[in-house]
Order: sequence, then C-alpha cells, then structure tokens
Amino acid sequence: MNIAVIIRQVPDTEAAVKPHPANQGAIVEDGVKFILNPYDEYAVEEALRITEKDGGEVVGVCIGPQRSETAIRMAMAMGMARAILISDAPAVEADLVTQGGILAAAIKGLSARLILCGREMIDTQNDAAAAVVAHRLGIPHVLAASKIEISGDKATVVRDIEGGSLEIETALPAAISCQKGLNEPRYPTLIAIKRAKNKEIKKMTLAELGLAAAQPKSRVTALRPLQARSAGVKVAGSPEEVAGKCAAWLSETAKVI
Amino acid sequence: MAGVLVWVETSEGKIKKITREAAGAGAKIAAKLGVPLGAALFNGRDLVPGLENLGFSKIYTAEGAIFEKYSSEAYAQAFAAAGEQFNADVFLTGATALGRDLSACLAARLDAALAIDVTEILYDARPLKVIRPVYSGKLLAEVELLGDKKVISLRPNVFPAAETPSAPPEVVPLSLENLAIRAEVRKAIKAAEGVMDVTEANIVISGGRGTGGPEGFKVIGELARTLGAAVGASRVAVDEGWIEYAHQVGQTGKVVSPVLYIACGISGSTQHFAGMGSSKFIIAVNTDPDAPIMEKADFAIVGDLFKVVPVLKEELGKRIRG
Repeated sequence: MNIAVIIRQVPDTEAAVKPHPANQGAIVEDGVKFILNPYDEYAVEEALRITEKDGGEVVGVCIGPQRSETAIRMAMAMGMARAILISDAPAVEADLVTQGGILAAAIKGLSARLILCGREMIDTQNDAAAAVVAHRLGIPHVLAASKIEISGDKATVVRDIEGGSLEIETALPAAISCQKGLNEPRYPTLIAIKRAKNKEIKKMTLAELGLAAAQPKSRVTALRPLQARSAGVKVAGSPEEVAGKCAAWLSETAKVI
Repeated sequence: MAGVLVWVETSEGKIKKITREAAGAGAKIAAKLGVPLGAALFNGRDLVPGLENLGFSKIYTAEGAIFEKYSSEAYAQAFAAAGEQFNADVFLTGATALGRDLSACLAARLDAALAIDVTEILYDARPLKVIRPVYSGKLLAEVELLGDKKVISLRPNVFPAAETPSAPPEVVPLSLENLAIRAEVRKAIKAAEGVMDVTEANIVISGGRGTGGPEGFKVIGELARTLGAAVGASRVAVDEGWIEYAHQVGQTGKVVSPVLYIACGISGSTQHFAGMGSSKFIIAVNTDPDAPIMEKADFAIVGDLFKVVPVLKEELGKRIRG
C-alpha cells in the first residue's frame, strides 16, 4: 500500500534559538542547524518497514521554506521514494489547523492507505497534524502510536496515555502519529545519501492544490525567551548535613513539605 | 450570546484534577467576557455531583455504549454538539493525551483556532491571547486566537483549580444521531499497580545517568513512596533499559509541571529541560558541581545520590509524620 508521511524540518534540539528582532513570531536562523523532526524518523521508518513487507510507495509531504529540502533528502536517504514540498508563504505561515487542510489536499492525490507523521513537531510543539488531516480527509486517526500492526483493511495501534496505554483498532485508510518506541529508525548509508539527491521533490503551491490563502485563525504575536532559571542554593557536605538543609529548605522556603 | 465550555476528563470513574483546573481558567474567561460557563461530560452521569461549585451553569452529558471508552470521533461530535447548544465559542480541555486528541479533533471539526499545551491565558486581551512553550521550551510564544471559535488545551498542574461557589448546574442530556466510529478502543492497558503517572503528579523524582542502573531507581522509588511522588527518568536511563519509557521526562518523553521536581544524577540537557522546565521548584542531586542542572536548580546538592537520597528520605519521612 502507498503511505504518505508528513515531515517537517526543525531546528536541532541543541540549537540556541533566539526570537527574530524584526519578524514577528520568527527565530534568528543564522547559525542554526536544521534537521528532520526527530519524531518524523519513526514515521518514515515505520512506513518503510510496512512497504518493504507489503509493497507500495512512501511519499513525503512537507510544508516549509525551501531549506526544508535537506530534511526531505534525509528522509529520502532513509528510503522515502519521492516528496511534495509546499513552500509558498501563505502555506508556511498558516496556522496549524489551516496547514492540516493544506496537507490533506496534497495527500488526497496520492491514493495513500496510511498517513503517518511524528507525534509532535518539536519547533511549534504542536501534535494535532494527524487528527486535523484525518478529519479533512474524512478518515479516522490515532495519535502517539507506539505499535502499529496492519492486517487487511484494519490496523491495530497501541497509543500511550497517562498511566497506561490503549489498544485501538482502526479502519484503513487512517492517519497515525508515531511515538518513540515504535521502532528504531535506520541510519542511511552513504550510498543511500548519494542516491537521495536524485529523487524527485515536487514543489507545489496552494493554487496548484486548488486552495486559496485563508484568513489566519491564530498567529504568533510575540516570541520571548523563557525566563532563565537562576541558580539557587548550592550545598555540599555529609549526607546528613545536606539532607537536613534540604529538608529545612523544603518546609521553610519552598513550603512544599 | 457566547459561552465557555469545559471537557470533563475522567479516568477510571473519577474526575481528573485537570478538569478543576480547566474550570478555574474557564470561569475566569467567562467572567471577563460576561458569558456562562458550561461543561461536557461523557459516560459519567453519576459524576455530576462532583461538578458542583465549579461555576458550571449547565452540564451536557452523553451516555451509551459508544461513550464507554474514549473515541476521538464520538467525543468530538458530542463536544461539538454541546458547544452548539450552549453557543460556546471557547472550548477548554487539559493538555493530557486524550485532551490533546479531543481538542485537535474539535478544532478541525469547527475550523477553529487551536492552542495546544497553554501555560498562561491573557484574560484581558481581545482577541484572546495565550502563552505556550515552543522550541523545546526554550521560547514562549504569545498566540492571538483570531477565529470565532477557539479551542485551548491547558497544561496540567499550571492553572489553579476552580473554587467557584455556584448554584447546582442544570444537566442537559445530548441526543446524538448518526454516531459511527471507525477507530475503536479495544483494550485499556494499565501501567503496573501502584505506578503513578508523572504528568499530573505534584512531586516528581527523576533519575538519570547517575543512577547507574535499576538499583538507582530503587533508591529513588523509596523516596517517591515517602513523598507520594511519581518516578521520572531522563532519556539516558530509559535508553539504557533501566526503567520503562512511560517514565521518561523531556523532549522525547512527557512534559511535567509539578510543584517539586527532584533530579537525581541528571545533568540537565536542553531536551530534559523541555520536559520539566516549568516545574515550580527544582532540587538537583549530582556529584558534578558544574553539571548544567546545578546552575538552574533552586536547591542543588553536590553529592552521591546513593548516599544522599536515603538520608533525605529518612529526614523528610520524619517531617511528614510530624
């Protein structure tokens, strides 16, 4: 079966990100390394494993600026066959619900039986893509899968919740977001990285998808650094000494105990 | 007329704490806008008495086999139906696993503005604005919600629980037609008995590389039992197989916001802070005085967790027993 994988390019988790002084809601990109969203690796890997067993093609769909190509090439080096990149500004700047609609429009033409994405985009910390895309396509979804088993027209999915997990049976086609624990993503070989350079990235605009730029439903009006936590009390000494000081601090200063 | 509608999240026949927190935030939004506050409660008709004095004027209920287990499709349809009857324009859920799911489905259904894992609401802003962490918690985004309908999920343990003396709410059963679901929960798998989840715990005690193995987590587990705390872990500890993934706090694990976070043998990477940076108080126990976490902790103990934690357990046990 054909599988569509929603991917995204994000700043490396180690990168120091700073709000852009002029562009509202943007970060300073100079010196920031961009990578494939770490959770998307689980989605790509799962798609590859399923198609390696049952046949079919893995196609990536990405909304993002031109620089997103490096993330797409990374997924291609893992084994993704081809990809669609939507880079026009109204799409890149759209709110997450609108972007879900754009992704759905791009996926519609792919005759995909399964749509996979990462559990969360680590830049915006949004985790709604699978649910929104599924709703727009009129298909069911499951979020945060740590196990996916395909059998015929159905998939059995285990998804984590607080204090346990749920085993969900869903009809296909379906959209599923992928959680850590689902698989061990492969490392691309050098040959695969080379070959990935020749794979097709089809650039599409909103107009080509039959969409018009929509009024934003939400927008980021400011980005600011988290107030850095400053160092507090630091103690050293015998276990009895430090434990005593800590217990006193907890009950007198923090008033937690 | 408009309104604010809160999803009542339940777990094993009990109302989850986040519901009271969402009711608190909802009551504040409703008061500022001069609109009523309502609730949507699915498969929990007998829990209605527990929803008094939270400021709800109406509680919309849905019962039946299809609601016995969580279903994105059925719950979102019912939540939307309740919203339509209540004329709601603001919808609140917890940013829990299922609350995030439901809010996403509802926002797609209503073509609404969606804000996930919100840690602050700017109640006086028009249109309404919220604050939420982005970029691994390194930045905070101020988000303006422009849509007519706004769906917001709230980070647990951040908003004060509601204390809103109010008349008993009116219960309105929803009549829903054409409910069909294609993704169905077949089995709920519980974590091992007595294991508290980190996401909603008031106190979380975590272990990292310094625990050196499962034995380190025994020491941490004993302190956790004394304090009624949940046990968390860094990515290293999980990847090493010392503790299950369900305990992982951080970028690729869970986000926690407890009153007290005790990090034992954890250096404090960016990825770990993404999951616990909004804790109210942080205590660190580390042999390395220069570990990044020691510069961010409110109380940093330079020492070996195997020696310090058991003594701390005794000391705190004495204080708790009085």
